[in-house]
Amino acid sequence: MSRNSELIIGLAMLGAGLGYLYLTMQLPRRGTVDATFFPYALGSAMAALGLLQILFTLRRSGFLPLAPSERLQPRQLLTVAATLGLVAGFIAALRPLGFPVAAALFLFAQFWLLTPSTQRPRPILYAVLAILSAVVIFVTFRYGFRLMLPGGPLTRYLP
Amino acid sequence: MLDLLLAGFGNVLSPQIFILITLGVAVGIVFGAVPGLTAVMAIALCLPMTYTLGPAAGISLLIALFVGATSGGLISAILLKIPGTPSSIATTFDGAPMMEKGEGAKALGVGIVFSFIGTILSIGALMFIAPSLARVALSFGPHEYFAIAIFSLTLIATLSSGSMIKGIFAGVAGFAVSTVGIAPVDAITRFTFGRVEINAGFSILTVLVGMFAVAEVIRVAESAHRKGGAPVAPPLLVRIKGFGFSMAEFLGQIPNAIRSSLIGISIGILPGIGAGTSNIISYIAAKKRSKTPEKFGKGTIEGVVASESANNAGIGGAMIPLLTLGIPGDAVTAILLGGLMIHGIQPGPMLFITQGPLVYTIFAALVVAAIMMLILEFVGLRLFIKLLAIPKHILLPIILVLCAVGAFGLASRIFDVWTILAFGILGYAFAKAGMPTAPFIIGFILGPMAETNFRRGLQLSSGDFTGFLTNPIAGTFLALAALSILWQVYAALRPHKIATLPNAQD
Repeated sequence: MSRNSELIIGLAMLGAGLGYLYLTMQLPRRGTVDATFFPYALGSAMAALGLLQILFTLRRSGFLPLAPSERLQPRQLLTVAATLGLVAGFIAALRPLGFPVAAALFLFAQFWLLTPSTQRPRPILYAVLAILSAVVIFVTFRYGFRLMLPGGPLTRYLP
Repeated sequence: MLDLLLAGFGNVLSPQIFILITLGVAVGIVFGAVPGLTAVMAIALCLPMTYTLGPAAGISLLIALFVGATSGGLISAILLKIPGTPSSIATTFDGAPMMEKGEGAKALGVGIVFSFIGTILSIGALMFIAPSLARVALSFGPHEYFAIAIFSLTLIATLSSGSMIKGIFAGVAGFAVSTVGIAPVDAITRFTFGRVEINAGFSILTVLVGMFAVAEVIRVAESAHRKGGAPVAPPLLVRIKGFGFSMAEFLGQIPNAIRSSLIGISIGILPGIGAGTSNIISYIAAKKRSKTPEKFGKGTIEGVVASESANNAGIGGAMIPLLTLGIPGDAVTAILLGGLMIHGIQPGPMLFITQGPLVYTIFAALVVAAIMMLILEFVGLRLFIKLLAIPKHILLPIILVLCAVGAFGLASRIFDVWTILAFGILGYAFAKAGMPTAPFIIGFILGPMAETNFRRGLQLSSGDFTGFLTNPIAGTFLALAALSILWQVYAALRPHKIATLPNAQD
């Protein structure tokens, strides 16, 4: 990892600790050992570890530059962002579309998106697999284990 | 006793109960193997099915689910680097590297056999020393629990591969995340931002699934369209013979298995700490006792043996306070207690006297379920390996959907599904920052135990901190914790000294 990356990590650790301490200060106090005792200790420890990380990084030498294969390429970042977007979309669609439709759409899109660049996407196979998986999971849990997964608009047609 | 045990075996080997045990173990293995589905969920979802069964059949089915699900976690831990349940977190540390080295079948075989051994040893403990063990465990109060939690937390640094600062930070961050929700003792809501959904804090399941499964999907997304990098080779698989390991390897691991099982049983007995903790503690103990600690984390069977013996040994351990005192130690045994009560059985000291035949039927069901687990997993070994033939871009999204089902199943809330995404992003950030995930999980599990018992202990000793040191057991554990910290600081400084000596090895 490069010096800059290690410094950014140290700053993030320090920021997390200070942020947590700030939130702790908003809590009501009821004596020395109260609900804030451990949060103060933990926040201070996080901030101190962040400072140590920054200090050690500044004092350390011998950082190697990142190899080209280690650097994130724009296309990779885009795929990660699209995956996060798909997962978020799937969760947001669970109630309005229902589990079977939301899961089938998510699976189809995610199969396609994760297909390695060395392979050609197979949309028909992905569609069949997505629908089949969504239906099998829904039926197994809703009727086999009585877990009331949201049915969405399909609810009125379900037994 | 022998008569009762034989009668118990007679009961569970009847066709109806035997089939139920076989089915229960099979379903349990699937629940354990799929990240997001747990033993708790398997038992909770199948509990209504036992209403129409008799007590022996119903309890046998629940026990079979418990045994299968506890062991099943090793499958995804080894094959996919995603622990199926919290009990298998440490199995990923060496199981996954073994998989990458082409020794996946061997790792699975070792895990299966030593899961069986751990279960059998714990059943032995349950049958022969249950009441006295339970009495000792019950004498533990907040001082002892706090000291045990602190001692376990100091072991976090051992799991910090790479930077110790990052490892300790991860543990502290896990503890910090566990403070979200209603505080112990004074019931102040902390860091909830007015969201009632997190008043009870985050569930370990959503944290685990997010940090491991969702983060893994994001990592696969990152590498799917990498240009210029070396192509990722599929894991090599050698032909599987038997369980995939030699007799010499088996015999060499017996001391490790016995030590890990004892840790698993001891921790299993203590209410509130379960297999989620014991597998990591026994992994650390095995690493410390090993002649080749440098091999840990790179794919050694010692790590898999330690984790799998300990987590399955927790089964018998957890049953000890349940049956002898009627006290459930964790969520699984709490549901089992409910199952027993539904069938008109009241666990407690009188159970062994009033319901002797049923108690021994439970023991027999545990033994038969353990044997069925061994057989089914041995048969399934080749099938599990075939899972790897499914491309990751197909398998992981399906697993993610199952994780979402598991999170939703916790309380039928979409909110819990959102939390797995949030922890997935955190897990991915940890991976990018070179921060280990295991200390975070340990901090998250042990944090509430340390805080709650610290506050209760202080109340009991009227605010006097020395109560933690004057209590013999608590004092011993706190002294061990101090020694552990000193040793780790010394170990961290020692290599630098050696490195500064020219030609140290000469």
